[in-house]
Amino acid sequence: MNFLLAVFSQTWRSIAETWRTQLLSLITITLSVLIFTFFYLVYSNALQVGSRLDNDLRLIVYLDEQPDANLQQEYQHKIEKFDQVERIEFVGKLEAYDRFKGQLDDSQDVLKDIPKDFLPPSIEIYPRRNLESLSRIKGFSEYLETMPGVLKVQYGREWVERFYSFIQLLRVVVFLSGSLLILTTTFMIGHSIRLTVFSRKKELELLRLVGASNSYIRVPFFLEGALLGALGSTAGIAALYLLFRWIKTNFAGQAAQGMFSFSFFSTSSVCMIIVLSILLCAGGSFVSIRKILSV
Amino acid sequence: MSGEEKKLTMIDLARVSKTFPPDVHALADVSLRIRRGEMIFLTGQSGAGKTTLLRMLCGIDCPDKGYIEIAGYDLSRISGGEMQKLRRRIGVAYQDFKLLPDKTVAQNIAYSMEVSYRSRPFIRSQTEKLLTELHLLDKQDALAGKLSRGEQQRVSIARAVANEPELILADEPTGNLDAETALLVTQLFRSYNEQGTTLLIATHDQAIYDFPGSKVIKIENGRLAIQKPPTLVKKAEGKE
Ligand SMILES: Nc1ncnc2c1ncn2[C@@H]1O[C@H](COP(=O)(O)OP(=O)(O)OP(=O)(O)O)[C@@H](O)[C@H]1O
Ligand SMILES: [Mg+2]
Repeated sequence: MNFLLAVFSQTWRSIAETWRTQLLSLITITLSVLIFTFFYLVYSNALQVGSRLDNDLRLIVYLDEQPDANLQQEYQHKIEKFDQVERIEFVGKLEAYDRFKGQLDDSQDVLKDIPKDFLPPSIEIYPRRNLESLSRIKGFSEYLETMPGVLKVQYGREWVERFYSFIQLLRVVVFLSGSLLILTTTFMIGHSIRLTVFSRKKELELLRLVGASNSYIRVPFFLEGALLGALGSTAGIAALYLLFRWIKTNFAGQAAQGMFSFSFFSTSSVCMIIVLSILLCAGGSFVSIRKILSV
Repeated sequence: MSGEEKKLTMIDLARVSKTFPPDVHALADVSLRIRRGEMIFLTGQSGAGKTTLLRMLCGIDCPDKGYIEIAGYDLSRISGGEMQKLRRRIGVAYQDFKLLPDKTVAQNIAYSMEVSYRSRPFIRSQTEKLLTELHLLDKQDALAGKLSRGEQQRVSIARAVANEPELILADEPTGNLDAETALLVTQLFRSYNEQGTTLLIATHDQAIYDFPGSKVIKIENGRLAIQKPPTLVKKAEGKE
């Protein structure tokens, strides 16, 4: 109890003394968090868009023969072996004909002389609408083509691929800005601890002389790092939220509402980001203290 | 040394030597044993080696040769954590005070107690008590750097004794004080000694050890020279 009190008051004193030099670190951390969360928000919204795509994402596997119940089961088995899918539908020759006829509306009479089984039977596969499945869709279609009795596999190839490469690009950007966040944060934490150690040099020497334990000396630096992380990430997310509101109020009308309903992080993601930043900063300060104070 | 005697011993030095470059024999072959509860004065000319001896006792310096034991800990083998604990049990008033000039008097004194996780009320009452005894209560919130040398000296003494240590090492504690104020310090030390604290006080100031029954060791050029009473210093063979 007294240990905690002593350490807290020690931390408080140190902050009261050095907060001016810490401001730069705080601003840097805030900016890094802002940049990272911005891209991450765009990324997670893009994923939402992906999951809202509906029929565009189905794979159609054309077969040369109408499969009987046994064969259907075998197909189903093989498909599910590759990836979990949301739904599999078997479309028989007649069903295909009916659908086609339905699509023709007024000009149905062109079908008059054509036999009702001229369309090949097919399997319609609706993959799960998440990015994992999306990224595998190409491989999926290649796999389906190797199944016996398959004539051709079709999907909204171009669209999916474009979307997929966009998501890939976003992933790289998120990864880079995340790395940037980690680098700048640990660097700035190291920097601000160096500054604090420097400005409290005499005091730290005295603490050693009067027999302060390692943890009594270390914990305040650790707490300072964690506090920097907490403040920096909170400020960064708050700034992102303001930016988000501003974009929403100014550009909402122009965006296609259904497709791009831009939404902010959930409360739990916000907490997660803050907690991770705190851990990152505290960890960074832990490493720096060991290096700088060698205690 | 028997186990019983070991328990009674606070400071044990055996043939301790320290040489500074190029060729200053600050201490040469010093053997000395101080029992718990004693108050010893360490005298000697300027440059005799008093500060050097005290610095080794609180672990700031290491001897080149010889063996030092404090409260049963061999200083050459003590672990970092044990050294920290030991330092919390020793109060040191340094010759150069080692105060933090931009902290207040009360804050400076609090350091020695905070590292032992003393409670706030204890720190406050102890600070006030000591400052009252040393006639400095009105300076409690003054910055240490703004005080006169004599005032700073008393603050450093207050810091040394505040945590109620088992051993007090004081280097020239009255060097900047007038006779009357020096008496306050002597009284403070004596009151601690009466409660059982061991004290080792390096001083030139004959007035503070010139009383019947005082125990005095004199260093000359790094060697123990005169002692009063003569039983203090171990025989030349040193180790038993
Ligand atoms: N770090 C050092 N480097 C070189 N020589 C030193 C060092 N410290 C002390 N000395 C020398 O060791 C000798 C003993 O010094 P010490 O400070 O112990 O004397 P002292 O008895 O405390 O003197 P005073 O009464 O003036 O304080 C002196 O000759 C001093 O010059
Ligand atoms: Mg000296």
